[in-house]
Amino acid sequence: MKRWDIRQLLLTVGAGVLIWLVLGTLCLMIGSGSEGIWPANPDVRRFRLEIVLMASLVGAALGSAGTVYQAILQNPLADPYLLGISSGASLAAYIWRFTALSAGILAGVSQQGFAFGGALLAVALVFALSGARGRIEPLTLLLVGVIVNAVNGSIYLLLNAINRDLPGSGGGLTFLVGGLQTNVEQSQIVAAAVCVGIGWIILMSISGQLNVAMLSEGEAMSLGVRIQRLRWIGLIVSSLVTAAAVAVSGPIGFVGLVCPHLARLIVGQDQRRLLPISTALGAGLLAIADAASRKLAGQNAVNTQLPVGVLTGLLGGPFFLLLLWQTRRRAAR
Amino acid sequence: MSSLLDASGLTFAYTDTPVLRDVALSLLPGEVVALLGPNGSGKTTLIRVLLGHLHVQGEICWDGRELNDWRRRDLARLVAYLPQSPTFDPAQRVIDVLRLGRAPYWQAFGIESSQDAEVVMRIAGMLELSDLLNRPMDRLSGGQRQRVFVGRCLVQQPKALLLDEPNTFLDLKHQIELCTLLRRLAAEQQITVLMASHDLNLAAAYANRLLLLSDGRIVRQGAADEVLQPELLSRVYGAALRRMETEDSHRPIIYSERPLPRQVP
Repeated sequence: MKRWDIRQLLLTVGAGVLIWLVLGTLCLMIGSGSEGIWPANPDVRRFRLEIVLMASLVGAALGSAGTVYQAILQNPLADPYLLGISSGASLAAYIWRFTALSAGILAGVSQQGFAFGGALLAVALVFALSGARGRIEPLTLLLVGVIVNAVNGSIYLLLNAINRDLPGSGGGLTFLVGGLQTNVEQSQIVAAAVCVGIGWIILMSISGQLNVAMLSEGEAMSLGVRIQRLRWIGLIVSSLVTAAAVAVSGPIGFVGLVCPHLARLIVGQDQRRLLPISTALGAGLLAIADAASRKLAGQNAVNTQLPVGVLTGLLGGPFFLLLLWQTRRRAAR
Repeated sequence: MSSLLDASGLTFAYTDTPVLRDVALSLLPGEVVALLGPNGSGKTTLIRVLLGHLHVQGEICWDGRELNDWRRRDLARLVAYLPQSPTFDPAQRVIDVLRLGRAPYWQAFGIESSQDAEVVMRIAGMLELSDLLNRPMDRLSGGQRQRVFVGRCLVQQPKALLLDEPNTFLDLKHQIELCTLLRRLAAEQQITVLMASHDLNLAAAYANRLLLLSDGRIVRQGAADEVLQPELLSRVYGAALRRMETEDSHRPIIYSERPLPRQVP
């Protein structure tokens, strides 16, 4: 038996970084035109690096949060987007940008803090509505998530109609499907990166216990895990990580759903290996999807800018249906 | 010999009707105790109460210390629990299920020590699971799977095993194998076993002591001969039961008074 020691931990994190670097390079190749992978123009170079790093940050956050949600909810269909958490955070982040609000009583609260509040509110709502006798019904959970998403979308469109020129809003399309903004301030990205980084380390520190969270409550308790406390920590920290990311991107769907499953195919079920690899896949794949979206827009394959959420939705939607079908088939056995 | 467990005055209700009424019991190191009683008599509840999964009126002391004074991790190193239907992911490998038993010993980031790995491999060898370590759980027979779950409990290196109907999904051969293993662990490693069971005859054969629970009360406890009294059992189980004894060891055997139909229509 290969025991999980510091060496294994560092090797797995290293493998994750390698996966991200390979996918990131691939992404630069997709994004490049005649200028090659490393453009000579420093402005183009800086822009491309920034956008790849931002996509990687958001993807990493969604990939890791999705893994933890799936573990603590014991539900392979859980994903920050489908649960309505992403849209809750995005809506709160948008509300923060309301000039009147941010200049007034809420000026002291950062955008990330607001997005986090929105994410938690969405989580609380989804759980309150989908729980029955202390048990969460997986399909009800998803249904409530969809409805919370729809309501959040409507509120956003209403606010957007009232206040069209809000800076950084990116238009209605971006909110509904999510996309990476180029006009986000650097301080916001740094704040998001710090939140995601700290959150990720906390999630990694509980990754061993997340293996036990897959068991029944009684079994987990008799294995020395305070399961309720673990669920709360997992839920709050994942929501914080999600909120920090979607505050700069809007609710990008399915990355948090697909990446844990892809990672499972590579490293198996152990959450200690799963979390770093899923994070790396999230970072790399979202960067590639974003580069592909920009490439399509650049080549006039589409008439206007194509938010990355369109591509992740097109690829992730069928994947979700496949998973749902498999889950139902397994349950019927 | 001092008790591993001392519990008294245990009263518990999920709703208004008490499921446990003033229950008291002690467990000694190395004894195998069978917890008997009809469905709904409180067997599972009693086990969960002893583990601290349910809050209860009364006193529970494990190894001389109040249950509430135990940290969860420390208690998990003392007592292991196997529920009626253990949870597992079908794709999970046997080795991954076994190593979960070391969770109470893991450090932050789930870091395992060399002792963790050594214990897992030793228990796998003891339960003849060494060749199955990489096999997914859904490709095991019921007997093999139950052995894996017992293995997970033993990997915790506990002093006590609380098992809730561990024989439920096992055929006769595997039931005997499991009970023989539990007796061996009790004798060789002084592990205390408390096992809820519906099989009175298997309990009589393998347990040092029987506890009969009825309507949330312990109505009798002691050796098989004292507890397996047909009048008492008939009353508790609500069925006409008779008793005979094995020729060699005079062990009691309980059977139904009503003859079985010769032909099933």
